[in-house]
Amino acid sequence: MLELGPIFRALLRNKIGAILIAVQIAFTMAIIVNAVFIIYDRSQQTKRPSGIDEANTFYINSSGFGDDFDIKGTITRDLEAIRALPGVIDAVQINAIPISGSGWSMGLQTEAGAEHDGQGVAVYMVDEHGIKALDLELLAGENFAKSDIRWRGPAGSKWPAKVIVTEAMAKRLFPELSYSEAVGKTVYINNDEPMIITGIIDKLQAPWVGWDNLDNAMLSPEKMEFQSTRYLIRTVPGMRDQLMKTVEELLAENKSRVIDGMRSIDYVRERSYRGNTAMIKILTTVIVTLTVVTSLGIVGLASFSVNRRKKQIGIRRALGATKASILRYFMVENFLISASGVVLGAALTIALNMLLVSALSIPPLDWFYIPAGMLVLCLVGQAAVFGPAKKATEIAPATATRTV
Amino acid sequence: MLTMTNVKKVFRTDLVETHALRDFNLQVDEGEFVAVTGPSGSGKTTFLNIAGMLETFNEGTYQLDGEDVSHLNDNQRSKLRNEKIGFIFQSYNLIPDLSLFDNVDVPLRYRGFDAKERKKRIEESLDIVGLANRMKHLPSQLSGGQQQRVAIARALAGNPRFLLADEPTGNLDSAMAQSVMELLKEINKKGTTIVMVTHDPQLATQATRNIFVKDGQVSEINDVVAMHVANG
Ligand SMILES: Nc1ncnc2c1ncn2[C@@H]1O[C@H](COP(=O)(O)OP(=O)(O)OP(=O)(O)O)[C@@H](O)[C@H]1O
Ligand SMILES: [Mg+2]
Repeated sequence: MLELGPIFRALLRNKIGAILIAVQIAFTMAIIVNAVFIIYDRSQQTKRPSGIDEANTFYINSSGFGDDFDIKGTITRDLEAIRALPGVIDAVQINAIPISGSGWSMGLQTEAGAEHDGQGVAVYMVDEHGIKALDLELLAGENFAKSDIRWRGPAGSKWPAKVIVTEAMAKRLFPELSYSEAVGKTVYINNDEPMIITGIIDKLQAPWVGWDNLDNAMLSPEKMEFQSTRYLIRTVPGMRDQLMKTVEELLAENKSRVIDGMRSIDYVRERSYRGNTAMIKILTTVIVTLTVVTSLGIVGLASFSVNRRKKQIGIRRALGATKASILRYFMVENFLISASGVVLGAALTIALNMLLVSALSIPPLDWFYIPAGMLVLCLVGQAAVFGPAKKATEIAPATATRTV
Repeated sequence: MLTMTNVKKVFRTDLVETHALRDFNLQVDEGEFVAVTGPSGSGKTTFLNIAGMLETFNEGTYQLDGEDVSHLNDNQRSKLRNEKIGFIFQSYNLIPDLSLFDNVDVPLRYRGFDAKERKKRIEESLDIVGLANRMKHLPSQLSGGQQQRVAIARALAGNPRFLLADEPTGNLDSAMAQSVMELLKEINKKGTTIVMVTHDPQLATQATRNIFVKDGQVSEINDVVAMHVANG
């Protein structure tokens, strides 16, 4: 016995307050649902693995000074010394750090010539220790041999003959081949410099977390003969912080260079995704605030309408309404308001999402967010109206005869 | 069929204790039309509220249709009220947001009748009070007398054994009051027991029995002359 008809007709005679609340519910739903979706999307983005052993890896920068600084010798000795430290799994000289925000990009193409388009790729220059230091899995082909590694001079040079690419990159270059079939294929860098794919690695992200082709990465077998260099060091679990100190002291022993920067990959990730984290915080605040404001609106309207209808409630009680029927009356009335609110809200949610998809690069909403949002908003409404409705049940039946 | 024995009702507010009913004794038999008169504040409304189970009482016993109602809980009282009692109030007490049809429908829905049964009863009872052609109208579109007729229709629709009326003509001019009185007499003739509080001796004399309430007690029964004297 839901009394839907009379409740609805009575509501239509007092529609202003109800419409305002329904519209508020609709806007709240549109904003909350989209915010929840963005939070989910961003937190998924933040959780994407970079492919390296993030918890146990750090990098350190070293800059030599003076014309007589022995670059090759220093790098060779540094790497030998670091790799020999107990607790170090491996270490490598590298030109860029994954997900750090800065690095090198090139284009790889399957046919030579400037007229062909290339696929953008993040370049990591490493020696044969790269795979182990970066915690990569070789899915096909083989690692670089020590003899494959050559020195890249400060003035730049041609590219090496071999390249290892990520599985994702192999798929991009040869969409019709399986990744293992890509091994042995020749690709061109700088329009026409050939490189042979000699290995496929599972996953390694580029330095730029906002990039669409984040999984396009390649390893180039080189060491860099630059005054400023950078080492990436992977340790056994639990040893990272201790080894950061040890390595810094070790490198500092050489007085003809300075250590200018040392960071853990955990820190790098935190810094790179700081924007996302901040956005999640802001959106969470927005959600909580809106929910509270809308709930208060519902409580306010319901309290107002209970007060306005005190006499009527007494009359209903006198005519045989139980406390439960009075409670139900207000719950049903609220449900009618919420239901029209969330129907409008569903349309607004989709509209807002379309706006966000075109304005910001946010993917379209999954369909189930809409019914879930409708349900949640209706439940919020029911929870908010429960207090005032409960109060209404306490109105004495004698109110019908005792008041004018 | 309505028997009150030594009923006491005390209102306690802050420091004041009001003995609204003290040793209130009354028996109303089936088919009676009882008019209740008495000075303001004497306890007439209190008696009617207790009779209609809108209020509880402190002492004594009250039997409705042979059933002791003092031990009933709120839900049971609501149900019994809905089934056995029709209320008519001085200020009509129609629900302003509802059409006449929906107003008469209110107690029927609480009764749990199906839609067809309710429609039949609503149309019949609005027909009895002569307002069947105004079903879609709102209370505010009616005169006071017409609104009171709707309230009577609402009280009748559930076929109650009892009609309790608290100054049903108090807000009406004498012509309208008399027509409402005629309606009530007609209803009483068809078998509904009526208890009506009124200030109007003209109307009271038309009832089958008069009782006079003073200081929370029934002071005289069926003695119209004494009542006139007491009223000054
Ligand atoms: N809710 C209440 N709280 C406190 N006192 C009350 C309450 N209701 C009634 N009373 C008191 O109880 C007494 C009887 O009131 P009641 O309304 O029954 O009188 P009445 O005979 O109906 O008067 P009237 O002719 O003016 O309607 C009065 O003194 C009144 O002030
Ligand atoms: Mg009274």
